[in-house]
Amino acid sequence: MSTDQPLLPDNQMLFDEAPCGLVVTKEDGTILRSNQTFSHSIGLDAQALIGRRFQDLLTMGGRIFHQTHWSPLMQMQGSVAEVKLDLVHHDKHIVTMLLNGVRREHASGAFYELALFGTKDRDKYERELLNARKVAEDLLREKTAAESALRQAQAELKSAYEEAQLRASFAEQMVAIVSHDLKNPLTAIKMASGILAREERTTRESKMLGHISQSVNRAERMIADLLDLALARVGQGITLSPSTVDLHAFVGASVDELRMTFPEATLVHQTVGTGNACLDADRVQQIIGNLVANSVAYGDLQQPITITSRVEQDHAVVSVKNQGPVIPDSLMDVLFEPMIRGAKTGTDSRSVGLGLFIVREIVRAHNGVVSVNSTPESGTTFTATFPMV
Amino acid sequence: MFARAKCDFLRSHKPIPRDAIPSTIYTAADIKTFGATGAARMDLQHRNNVKVMGDGPSTLIFSHGFGCDQSMWRYLAEGFTDRFTVVLYDLVGAGESDLEAYDREKYNSLAGYARDLNEIIDHYARGPVIVVGHSVSSMIGTLADRQAPGSIAAHIMIGPSPCYIDTDDYVGGFKLEDIHSLLDILDSNYLGWSSTMAPVIMGTPGQPALSEELMNSFCRTEPDIAKQFARVTFMSDNRQDIVGLATPTLILQSTDDLIAPLAVGDYLHAVLPNSTLCLVANVGHCPHMSSPSACSEAMENFLSPWIGEHVN
Repeated sequence: MSTDQPLLPDNQMLFDEAPCGLVVTKEDGTILRSNQTFSHSIGLDAQALIGRRFQDLLTMGGRIFHQTHWSPLMQMQGSVAEVKLDLVHHDKHIVTMLLNGVRREHASGAFYELALFGTKDRDKYERELLNARKVAEDLLREKTAAESALRQAQAELKSAYEEAQLRASFAEQMVAIVSHDLKNPLTAIKMASGILAREERTTRESKMLGHISQSVNRAERMIADLLDLALARVGQGITLSPSTVDLHAFVGASVDELRMTFPEATLVHQTVGTGNACLDADRVQQIIGNLVANSVAYGDLQQPITITSRVEQDHAVVSVKNQGPVIPDSLMDVLFEPMIRGAKTGTDSRSVGLGLFIVREIVRAHNGVVSVNSTPESGTTFTATFPMV
Repeated sequence: MFARAKCDFLRSHKPIPRDAIPSTIYTAADIKTFGATGAARMDLQHRNNVKVMGDGPSTLIFSHGFGCDQSMWRYLAEGFTDRFTVVLYDLVGAGESDLEAYDREKYNSLAGYARDLNEIIDHYARGPVIVVGHSVSSMIGTLADRQAPGSIAAHIMIGPSPCYIDTDDYVGGFKLEDIHSLLDILDSNYLGWSSTMAPVIMGTPGQPALSEELMNSFCRTEPDIAKQFARVTFMSDNRQDIVGLATPTLILQSTDDLIAPLAVGDYLHAVLPNSTLCLVANVGHCPHMSSPSACSEAMENFLSPWIGEHVN
């Protein structure tokens, strides 16, 4: 007969030393019995626990939770599982435990049988998870808010841009319409003053008629510029009628005309190389006119203005150079934009600030490029380069 | 005549005034079939999981407290269905209410819940209305009464408290840090919330075998909602609203209730001019569950003016 069969501990011992806290209470929570494991975990003698209410061992929050949540549930569903509770240890520190509870009916009423497991590390881990979740939720909220702010800003920007476009387009159309409509009255004024000038006039009258004629010419140039702006901006762009011309001869003729217009300036024409170019001669003449007019307006008239025409293998170049103040850096980037003017504008300003814009548009229409170089040593040079077709 | 009345009701899109339903002609079942305000009632039914039982000439509306749902009335409500129209519902966010309807702004104060209660009264009640509110729902009933004076004939408040936190000479029973400790508990049960609510998975002794589906339907709570509701409930101070409320009120006060201590019951009795304070020998905050017969006995006495003859 075997004698080394291990003896099973008796029931009392199994209860007392079970690897979890065990508590039996009345329905109102009064403790009837608890095991040693539970006693140890909250630092109170099992005997001292009898008669106390289980819920009184909880933190205040735990007691409210007990009253509002798991007590009603124990009654309705007869058991609860994995409820996390904070108990207050005899020495006042908090012991976090997981509770499983069962309501057991007896003839005389019902008992609650509770099993409690320490869950310190698990609780710590869960709180870390919870914090991480909160951080993630906060970040998500921030991100959502930022995105929504961004969307709103974009929408505002878009609507502001559309409004600006609309206004600009309206303004440009106005320019086109007004400048076109101004042409007719100007023509009438010009014709009438021409007829008046044919007859015998006093010196004073002739002088006044000369003023009228000059003013009309200036107004016509301005209108031509405005119409070019309107064409470039609103219409299909500046259109060209190119033809093959002898570059030097054509530039030379333009310079001769400009000498009449600007008698106060000294215009010098230089040529490099020889050959033909395929250009819209009227438009290129307009370029030279605008550049020379700028030189007259902003340059030093004591020094000559040099117009150079150069024929190379691949392209034709026309440049206008003057001495005088350097174009400030702040102006360089916007020099070719409409409505930009140099610093020194006399009272006799002949343009509305469209000269260089039109120069650029005409050069572009030729698939060419325009550039500027302005230094105190070598003066200011505008260069228009046209490809040979 | 009957069919005509039915059509008229269907055509009108306004709630039927309760007085317009002569109880001698229509039964509660009729009203249910009418779908009086059709869509509105459907919405309310869905939102608040409204259940109507009985067909008495007066209406008892049971409103549950924090932490549970209408199933907590199971021991109490059925005893009244033979003489009253009994309406049960879940507060939005609790039980089987429509969680989609939970609006954090609206339910950031008890007034939002009170508006819902008034809507339920408008659409479901017949005859005089007695609101039976547990715990925080006593205050929801009070606010509903203040919002629509005359809509509620009487209150039965079970474990009521107008303010949980001690202030000056008022004893609510709690300190602010106690409430924070509760919020912390709710937080720390967050991860295991669904299992927290589940029973022990084993043959539950002494109980009929419940299917898992049924078991999990008790007092389901969304953790985020529970936290906000806890804050709204336990941080609320409704003393301004309760003082001087003249509607007849029965206060059912447990002899030993952590959440609503005796001092609070005394306070309410003192400030409610038409109140009856009834002490129920009970430990805990849910006497309607742990001592239902004592509760219904006190209610019977109080309700006698509204108990009508059984209609059928």
